[in-house]
Amino acid sequence: MNNDKNLYCIAATFNTPDEIINAAKKVSGAGYTHFDVNTPYPVHGMDDAMKLKPSKLGFVTLVMGLAGASIALLFMYWSLSIDYPLVIGGKPYFALPAFIPVTFEMTVLLATVSTVVAMIMLFFQLPNNKHPLHDTKYMKSVSHDKYGILIETNDDKFDEKEVENFLKNLKPLNIEYIYYPPEETYSIFQPKFLLLLAGIALVVSGGTYFSLNKLMFMTPFNWMMDQAKLIPQKGSELFEDGFGMRKPVTGTVARGFVPYPYKGQVNPTEVLANPFLPTKENIALGKAKYDIYCSPCHGYFADGDSRLRGQFPNPPTLHSQRARDFSDGMFYHIITNGQNIMPSYESQITRDERWAIVNYIRVLQRAKNASDADLTEMNKEAGSNVAN
Amino acid sequence: MSEQNNGLNTANEDNTPHPNYWRSFESLYRDPKVIEAKAHEFKEGVTDDFSPSGMSNISRRKFFALLGASAALAGTACTDYRDKGEIVPYNVKPEEITVGKPNYYASTCTACPNACGILIKTREGRPIKIDGNPDHPVNKGKICAKGQANILNLYDPERIKAPQKNSSLTFNEVSWKDADNEIITALGLAGSDEIALITHSITSPTMLKVIDDFKAKYPTAKLYSYELFNDSIKNSAWRKTYGSGNFPLLKWDEAKVILSLESDFLGTEGHKVETSRLFSQNRDVDSKKFTRLYCIDSNITITGINSDYRLHIRPEAQLEFVLSLANEIAKKGNITSAISASGYDLNNFAKKYNLDSKILNYLVSDLIANKGKSIITAGNSLPENVHIAVNLLNDALGNKNLYRTDSSSVSLVDHSTIEEFEALVQKMNAGSVAVVINIDCNPVYHFADDLGFEKALAKVPLSITLTERLNETTAVTHYALPLNHNFESWGDAKVRTNVFSLQQPVIAPIHQTRQKESILLSWISGKSDSFTEYLYLTYLKNNWEKNIYPTLNSKISFDKFWLGALHDGIVKTTSPVISYGAANTGSFDESKIEIKNPEGFTLIIKENYSLGDGRFAHNGWLQELPHPVSKATWDNYAALSEKTCKDFGLKDNDLIEVSVENRKLKLPVLMQAGTADNVIVVESGFGRTNSGTVATGVGFNVNSLLSSKSNLSPWIYSNAKITKTGDTYLVATTQEHHVFDDPLVQDLHIIRKIIQEGTVAEYLKNPSFIKENNEAQLPSVSNPYPYNGVKWGMAIDLNKCTGCGDCVVACDVENNIPVVGKDQVLKSREMQWLRIDRYYSGSPDNPKVSIQPMLCQHCDQAPCENVCPVVATTHSPDGLNQMTYNRCVGTRYCSNNCPYKVRRFNFYNFRDHFRDSYQENPILALMHNPEVTVRSRGVMEKCTFCVQRISEARADATHLKRNLKGSDVTTACQDACSSNAIYFGDINDKEEEFYKYRNHELGYYVLEELNVKPNVTYIAKLRNIHSEEV
Amino acid sequence: MNIDYSQETPLIAGRLDLAQIEELIAQPMDTKPDRKYYIALSISVTALLIGAVSLGLTFYYGIGLWGNNQPVGWAFEIVNFVFWVGIGHAGTLISAILFLLRQKWRTGIARFAEAMTIFAVMCAGIFPAIHTGRPWMDGYLLPYPNQHGLWVNFTSPLLWDVFAVTTYFTVSLVFWYVGLIPDFGSMRDRTTSKIKKTIYSIFSLGWRHSNRHWSHYEKAYMLLAGFATPLVLSVHTIVSFDFAVSIIPGWHTTIFPPYFVAGAIFSGFAMVVTVLIFVRKIFDLQNIITIDHLEKMNKVILSTGMMVGYAYSMEFFIAWYSGVQAESFLFLSRAFGPYAWAYWIMVSCNVLIPQLFWFRKIRRSIPLMLIIVIFVNVGMWFERFVITVTSLNRDFLPSSWAYFTPTMYDIGLLIGSFGFFFTLVILFTKSLPVVSISEVKAVADGAQPTHHGGAYHE
Repeated sequence: MNNDKNLYCIAATFNTPDEIINAAKKVSGAGYTHFDVNTPYPVHGMDDAMKLKPSKLGFVTLVMGLAGASIALLFMYWSLSIDYPLVIGGKPYFALPAFIPVTFEMTVLLATVSTVVAMIMLFFQLPNNKHPLHDTKYMKSVSHDKYGILIETNDDKFDEKEVENFLKNLKPLNIEYIYYPPEETYSIFQPKFLLLLAGIALVVSGGTYFSLNKLMFMTPFNWMMDQAKLIPQKGSELFEDGFGMRKPVTGTVARGFVPYPYKGQVNPTEVLANPFLPTKENIALGKAKYDIYCSPCHGYFADGDSRLRGQFPNPPTLHSQRARDFSDGMFYHIITNGQNIMPSYESQITRDERWAIVNYIRVLQRAKNASDADLTEMNKEAGSNVAN
Repeated sequence: MSEQNNGLNTANEDNTPHPNYWRSFESLYRDPKVIEAKAHEFKEGVTDDFSPSGMSNISRRKFFALLGASAALAGTACTDYRDKGEIVPYNVKPEEITVGKPNYYASTCTACPNACGILIKTREGRPIKIDGNPDHPVNKGKICAKGQANILNLYDPERIKAPQKNSSLTFNEVSWKDADNEIITALGLAGSDEIALITHSITSPTMLKVIDDFKAKYPTAKLYSYELFNDSIKNSAWRKTYGSGNFPLLKWDEAKVILSLESDFLGTEGHKVETSRLFSQNRDVDSKKFTRLYCIDSNITITGINSDYRLHIRPEAQLEFVLSLANEIAKKGNITSAISASGYDLNNFAKKYNLDSKILNYLVSDLIANKGKSIITAGNSLPENVHIAVNLLNDALGNKNLYRTDSSSVSLVDHSTIEEFEALVQKMNAGSVAVVINIDCNPVYHFADDLGFEKALAKVPLSITLTERLNETTAVTHYALPLNHNFESWGDAKVRTNVFSLQQPVIAPIHQTRQKESILLSWISGKSDSFTEYLYLTYLKNNWEKNIYPTLNSKISFDKFWLGALHDGIVKTTSPVISYGAANTGSFDESKIEIKNPEGFTLIIKENYSLGDGRFAHNGWLQELPHPVSKATWDNYAALSEKTCKDFGLKDNDLIEVSVENRKLKLPVLMQAGTADNVIVVESGFGRTNSGTVATGVGFNVNSLLSSKSNLSPWIYSNAKITKTGDTYLVATTQEHHVFDDPLVQDLHIIRKIIQEGTVAEYLKNPSFIKENNEAQLPSVSNPYPYNGVKWGMAIDLNKCTGCGDCVVACDVENNIPVVGKDQVLKSREMQWLRIDRYYSGSPDNPKVSIQPMLCQHCDQAPCENVCPVVATTHSPDGLNQMTYNRCVGTRYCSNNCPYKVRRFNFYNFRDHFRDSYQENPILALMHNPEVTVRSRGVMEKCTFCVQRISEARADATHLKRNLKGSDVTTACQDACSSNAIYFGDINDKEEEFYKYRNHELGYYVLEELNVKPNVTYIAKLRNIHSEEV
Repeated sequence: MNIDYSQETPLIAGRLDLAQIEELIAQPMDTKPDRKYYIALSISVTALLIGAVSLGLTFYYGIGLWGNNQPVGWAFEIVNFVFWVGIGHAGTLISAILFLLRQKWRTGIARFAEAMTIFAVMCAGIFPAIHTGRPWMDGYLLPYPNQHGLWVNFTSPLLWDVFAVTTYFTVSLVFWYVGLIPDFGSMRDRTTSKIKKTIYSIFSLGWRHSNRHWSHYEKAYMLLAGFATPLVLSVHTIVSFDFAVSIIPGWHTTIFPPYFVAGAIFSGFAMVVTVLIFVRKIFDLQNIITIDHLEKMNKVILSTGMMVGYAYSMEFFIAWYSGVQAESFLFLSRAFGPYAWAYWIMVSCNVLIPQLFWFRKIRRSIPLMLIIVIFVNVGMWFERFVITVTSLNRDFLPSSWAYFTPTMYDIGLLIGSFGFFFTLVILFTKSLPVVSISEVKAVADGAQPTHHGGAYHE
């Protein structure tokens, strides 16, 4: 035998099940451990003859089965009662009876699949089509109708001559030397393969792009993204101007929006009366709106100290005598109508809010021009507070 | 380990040299130990060392290479973003509009001559929903199905968008200028030839003034007005009896006994919205106030199904009946009426038409007992002498004090008589009519063929139709000029003495349309360029300032008055108290009495409940609204009694030919229980030949059976004949044809307690007689979900519900519900979320009818939720059974498991499927409610209790920093229900009115024994029949 | 296998040695297909295409193409699903239960039955997937983490189905494949063609008939059979829950699980017999799939048929006994209502006709049994139709009743499913050993040692 060939085992084939059982008994009896019997179907009594331990496969099944059960149950509990609890048909979040079927199925699934996978991959070390036995005369016969036994070179007691004689004594049909196949060497960077890589990459990316960005938005696919309705601030090509949002027809009066009667007048002879009392809530509302809409120009305290750093002319203070003598209606009129370069705020500030702002301006004016009387008034209140 | 490998590598040099970085790898594989290990198969189990190299290495490496490449590049594909369109904000936002919040405009509905006050809901300046104007004294915030569906007319893709000139049957667009020029010259050249203006009833005083101006400008102009179905006979009878005026309005809410003769006052006659409100006020379980309604008619109507006693006789017999009744009353209650028609005996009458004389006796005694508190009303279609007799009988019974004195109806222009139209046709034929202008009407379709209007029209040099869409008349006129829709027009209306109603547009004309008044005005001005956007607005304002405002002696200035009037939509006026003089006893001419014993068939032509006289035929929602009684959609049919069908060997859907004199029409048969024998009832409004995609060819044009020579009356024809054709024609009904003779299905609705009813007497005796036979609440193994805070519920009072179906259309509009078409209704795939179930019990000859609005019951223990695999339908914390459309994959399991079968499935993309995607037209997107998802194909949907309204109310409450209250929300169906049968609110709130109905002693749940805990309570119907009947 | 095979009547008629057995079984795969084969194939493929077209159109336009309507939300699609799942039951049952019960006669038919199970379940699996309104969203039925943060509804029977059917399919496939591995090994070693060899090698995973493998292998097979048996029972139980858990009269009945399982075995066996009759003839396997096999199966059909009959009568009894009006009405309406025709087809095909199997002659006569089992197949399809449609079309509210009429697309899909099934069967017969080579070898006489090396314990 030449050097580069690497012996794997010596094998013998027999004709009947009885012979092989006997042979197996002999071989195992002779103390060989690394030997195997190959038969086209499981021959009975062979495990004993070979002195095999019963399979441990059962443990895998047990463990994975239990795992399946608990995973299923826990997941259902978590998803329906903790992660996203929903009232479904008035059932409790954790409706155990309804969870049994899925639990059972998951148990079976994990148990069986993992058993088989474990058997094939861990116990059999399969798939392995590179095994020396493959494509040997021996293999062909044992998978057909013969019964074979083999002793491997890596058995501690292995000695080529000895084993050969030992097998001969069993009067086999024939004896066969089986060698390791020669190692091929591969390079991953064959141009052909790289071409294949590129091709696949192209197909994959093209395919994904098309299906994700085009196909998914053709009929019949419908994700209810494009709704046949006009949501606010959506354009519409049905109108020349392209506005989906229309303006009310001039001259119409919407409920609760009787037009402001003194529109456009600079100094209206009569003005509306303030319908709101300066209650806490109303003034709070007024402050909020004032700070949003008025303070940028008029300043937080209506001193006319703009925060616009002169990018827009500063308005006069609202603490002037003139401003303090304004009627509430006049302020309302100015907010609604605008004045000089101050634009109209009617489209930003609702009518009630305008009155609230007026009330707040009054508060500011009062605060800026407090009299001693006010002070004593305040002390009185403070005192009374202390007394309580 | 690597050194060892290198050592070994050097040992056998024969190997081909490898690049360094592969060295260790390759050498690793050359290690004999490893090689052995690779082939090593004797494992004792998992415990032994398990090397992955046991598997073929190189293929694995390639595999990973491929996997990597693919994965990496797959990632690069997810880079594109779909364009979601650009944001188009207002550049100057109008004060009244807050984006995302609706505005409401008071206006007036012009769908029919009742001119109800409406409140139009707009979003960002686009109308999306119509409700009644709550301030309007007549319709009090309610509006009928036609008014609801009117929104679809506005956005109808098939409106004509520009003036059309009809040159040899091909229409081509022309500019308004050219059209006006040609017309104005023609008008100018009319000379002594007549200019005929044909229109429906005119309800607008200002419009009338425009007409007058027109006449002033063109002296030969003559106005003709008509309605296919009208109360002219009733009114002329009234004038004969009482000298002047129209038939008065009635105090339905005060009547103890109502006798309706062939009259459908809850349906097509009079002001349905107002009448059903008043009528239902009088069937109130709360105040225990119940009227008793007797119906003596030939066909079963909405009024009929709401009656306590119903007898059917042929219309020919009505006169005889009234006379016999008068006699009987005279005899029994010695009340002498002005009708001295001796020789008519009620018992003989009963025998003659084998009527239940017991009921007739009840009737007589009730009428006598309730002198002055009863109403006898005769149908518009009955001949004059019946009306006169009825007037006199009412007079004798002292029922005059149920005639309303605060207000009466106003007709600005009396309808032209048939003689006038015949004269017109003659003139047209004679060529002495220069121009015919059809103002928003369709005479070619409406007029009887033997009037010969259509042929005559062809002889007219210039004929013009002002219309919103092409119709039978535009087909034969020279011009079709596009009109503004109701919601694009200004106007006013006066139909009652005590109120004006104003009409304002809510959107600028979408197409190049003008409103009819401005068109006339520009012709009056004689200048084709005189039209401006504000032409009619200024005219209207002037008219009000000059003519109407002064009469109202209002304190405030006209400008303020005007704005206020527009804001309210109405102006109340004080009308003088109306007094009714003595009846002219001579008005009933006994000599005229000839009782013709009806032979052959009697053909009755009725106005269709939803399509009216055909004006709404193109409106899919109304076409698909099931007929209140027969549940038929998309067709009219010949309704025959069961006996008649048997006698002539007819089944449902058989095609028969109905002929009156020489006029013939093929119609499908529908066995309508409760129809008088040998009576053919056909509804008008169908069989349009030129009404766009939706209506053309739907149903049969019964107007071809009309005759200008009225028979018994313009709508009732004796001596009709039927012949079998042998063909069949499927009529699509939303409910299976009811089987009376199969014991298996007989009265199931009662056995299963779907319908629970009692009598008033029973109720007064034992108020809790319903509660007592309700199912006991079953205990639950798990404690139910605590619904603290607001929990929504609904209560439906079956005593008030008349089954008209207005709520169904309201729901359609509110919730973007598609029209599916006849083929799908035949497959019973209609999409309406709310349906009105109709059950018959008793005999097919004269069945007892029960009505039940059925919608999602929002069960606490909803069976649909348990079975949805993808949690697309779940319960909200405020007790709603909610649908998550985007999550729904469409297994239909929920629908299968719904005991009420109220879920609706999009078997197709119906918008696309109906009439080759007629509904996909982009303009309909403007109509859809922006707050409601437009459902795609394959999605389940159902009533949501108008959840969008709930969220809006919640948002408002939050904004105002207060808690949401049940009374903050009203559902669309509730808003539409003119008889206030629907209550909606918070189940947990004991203060609310709703609570009373939710826990009413007459309340029950449908299919209570299933213990699904519905949140819709039905209040059992009480029939006000005599106690000995029970 | 680990079974005591010392028994009198040989399972394999005639005296075949191992080589002959292998020849016989492998013969269809080694020879070129003949005309008969191509005719059969073309017929079934045509049917398959009809189904494919109907499916495509349905997918594009929506299931409005079907006859389903408002009350009848489920019709043919679910009927077919349940029908095929039922067919799918015989295979694993024959294989697993008979294996556990040490029924040696299983070897002849087990492989084929298992294959049919897999194909039937594939047919069945299609329908739940396509019956949805938006099939492209079916992924929502799987509990995968998504941007909605939403999971599936584990309380829905339809979801149980998803798990049950997938599990059943996977396990059956694994069970079948494990059985195939040794045969792949043999095929690999006997074939001469290069391509075949590569394919067989890949699927054989490099099986070496090693006895150290055999011992694990038998253990694994035992475990699989042990799990498959309750699984078989559970699957149709869960399918029956689709109906039993709802509240619709005619569905909401506790008898369904056993009734469905019996029905499934009934129909499954009928289908297996139907197909085997042809297979053993065409590939003259009369010696391996003997008449005794068929007779035994006919006995099973007879008994399960009577179980089903019992269920029918018991449904009626309970409907009356429960005193629930809707329930009793529904059953009366089944027998005498609009769908009476379907009901009586069901009863006669499933209960009356199988009674003929009381006679041994009929049990053993190929043509007669063929007719009967075909009737049974028809009957069982109608059973599902009756259950699904007649319950829905007349439920609680008379106002929402409506009659269901199938469209050509419904029929098309039904035909298509048969096409799919038989196409797979026909391809299978030519490409894989229809009978387990190793198992049959193992039961051939003289296949096992005459004197055992000690009693064998599992």
